[in-house]
Amino acid sequence: MPSEDKGHSSISSADQELVLSSLERDQLAGLKKQLIPRRHLRGLEKFVLWSLRIYLLFMMVVVVYQVWIGMH
Amino acid sequence: MSVRPAYDDEESAGDSKRSAKEPLMGVGPLSRVTAQAVTQEAVVITHEDVDRAHDRVRVSAARAQRGVFSRFRLLWLLVGPGILVMLGENDGPSMLSYAATGARFGIGFFIPFVVLTFCMAVVVQEMTLRLGSATHRGHAELIFDRFGPFWGWFSMVDLGIGNFLTLITEFIAIRAGLGFFGVPPWAAVVGALAFLCLAVITHRYWTWERTLLAIAVFNLVFVPVALLAHPNWHSVGRALITWKPLPAGLSKDILIIVLADIGATVTPWMLFFQQSATVDKGLTKNDIDLGRIDTVLGAALAATAAVATILATAPLFAHHMTAENFQAAEFAQALQPLIGRFGAALFALGIVEAGMVASVTISISSAYAFGEVARRPHSLNLPMAEGRTFYSVLFLCAVTAGAIVLIPGLPLVYVVLLVNVVAVLAMPPALVFLFMLANDREVMGDLVSPTWANILTTGVVVFLTLAGILFGISVIAPNIFAFLGGK
Repeated sequence: MPSEDKGHSSISSADQELVLSSLERDQLAGLKKQLIPRRHLRGLEKFVLWSLRIYLLFMMVVVVYQVWIGMH
Repeated sequence: MSVRPAYDDEESAGDSKRSAKEPLMGVGPLSRVTAQAVTQEAVVITHEDVDRAHDRVRVSAARAQRGVFSRFRLLWLLVGPGILVMLGENDGPSMLSYAATGARFGIGFFIPFVVLTFCMAVVVQEMTLRLGSATHRGHAELIFDRFGPFWGWFSMVDLGIGNFLTLITEFIAIRAGLGFFGVPPWAAVVGALAFLCLAVITHRYWTWERTLLAIAVFNLVFVPVALLAHPNWHSVGRALITWKPLPAGLSKDILIIVLADIGATVTPWMLFFQQSATVDKGLTKNDIDLGRIDTVLGAALAATAAVATILATAPLFAHHMTAENFQAAEFAQALQPLIGRFGAALFALGIVEAGMVASVTISISSAYAFGEVARRPHSLNLPMAEGRTFYSVLFLCAVTAGAIVLIPGLPLVYVVLLVNVVAVLAMPPALVFLFMLANDREVMGDLVSPTWANILTTGVVVFLTLAGILFGISVIAPNIFAFLGGK
């Protein structure tokens, strides 16, 4: 974000010290661009996620049907 | 660790390099993930960091002092996300659901039921508090990183659709509430958008949070309205203890009210909002205990307002008022002969406040999530120049929703109640992601969910899923309920 870095020029050294002494390392905004490693999904986890995804899609169809009935 | 100061002054740069060699104050569970990144890449310190650091200094100073006053000051500094998320969820469609519940069923089963739903909300929201404090990452960010973009986008689509529909209903509520005072719809929408701008104009999380807290507490205006309705306190006490009288029969309409009342307290945007607000506020694992108090306090306030709304509209029970009248703010008008012009005006103002606060929190929830996924700066501490994407998403969502409400003849009334139903249906998948993240030792460290929390969360997921399935059956095969003795 080069364009957005322009605004940082007014940060004083005292504020830099304050940030480094007050915030935990993970709290620094600049570090949040780093990805957290992906975890491996187990079979049961995939099954639950897919089941709930199908459940949600099906229920959304039901809701649309319900809205259609309500409007007519 | 290499820190690149974001300024050109050589002397100051030297100071920064010196300070960068000193150890940071605290280290979270994700540090071993990010530490490698720190050594490989220079870090820009931003205004967002500076503002957050100033807030943390005040928290540290309050924590270092002893005495009751200091403890209260520390609590005062740390409350915010929990109260805001709970009172924010007492939004336009939620207050409509409670009003419809009181008008349809009076004092009975639904009073303890609503209290139970807020207990469920505390169980769920506590996990987001722990996640945010432990990881300093937003909910959308964690889902994308840990489960990958495939599941991440599913989650974001659920959130995006739910948030946008809910945002539309907030503007309906604002328009309806102000309509009671004769304010034209366009002026109501413009006023709400102006309020949104004012709420974030300071570009400071702390100021935004305190301003919104002051306005959100106005949600309790439903308490004096309830008192003006002179409820039968003996019946209220009996309902709280016995959960009776039960609604007569089992029907689709009753299930919609049940789901709407659940959706009025537990919704996906709350998960994303509280975790992101926890991160933006800068809470750490040392703040979790007081963060829990913040969440419970918020739930208690919101449950009080919710029950008060049911009690306020309970006198309409005999008149069979229904939600179809909401768009014209007729709940307030119908209450006027019973509680007077002043009480009705308070009710209408309460609806406006509910819509106003929620329109801010839900817009911000969307902006946080978008920023986290798009890897753009996302904080209420950002100056406009640094957070153009964040503020653009925030305002774009609000302006579009407000404009839709102004389209003449749009059939929005029925959708108001169904928005809460949609929220309930979307909750189980969102809760499973939350459950998995809160039990992920690699990101949570020692703050993984205890067994009791996992049992309660599983119970909430099963309960919400069964409620959704029952609703589905009631729509697809309504005769089954008649067969079981319902309507």
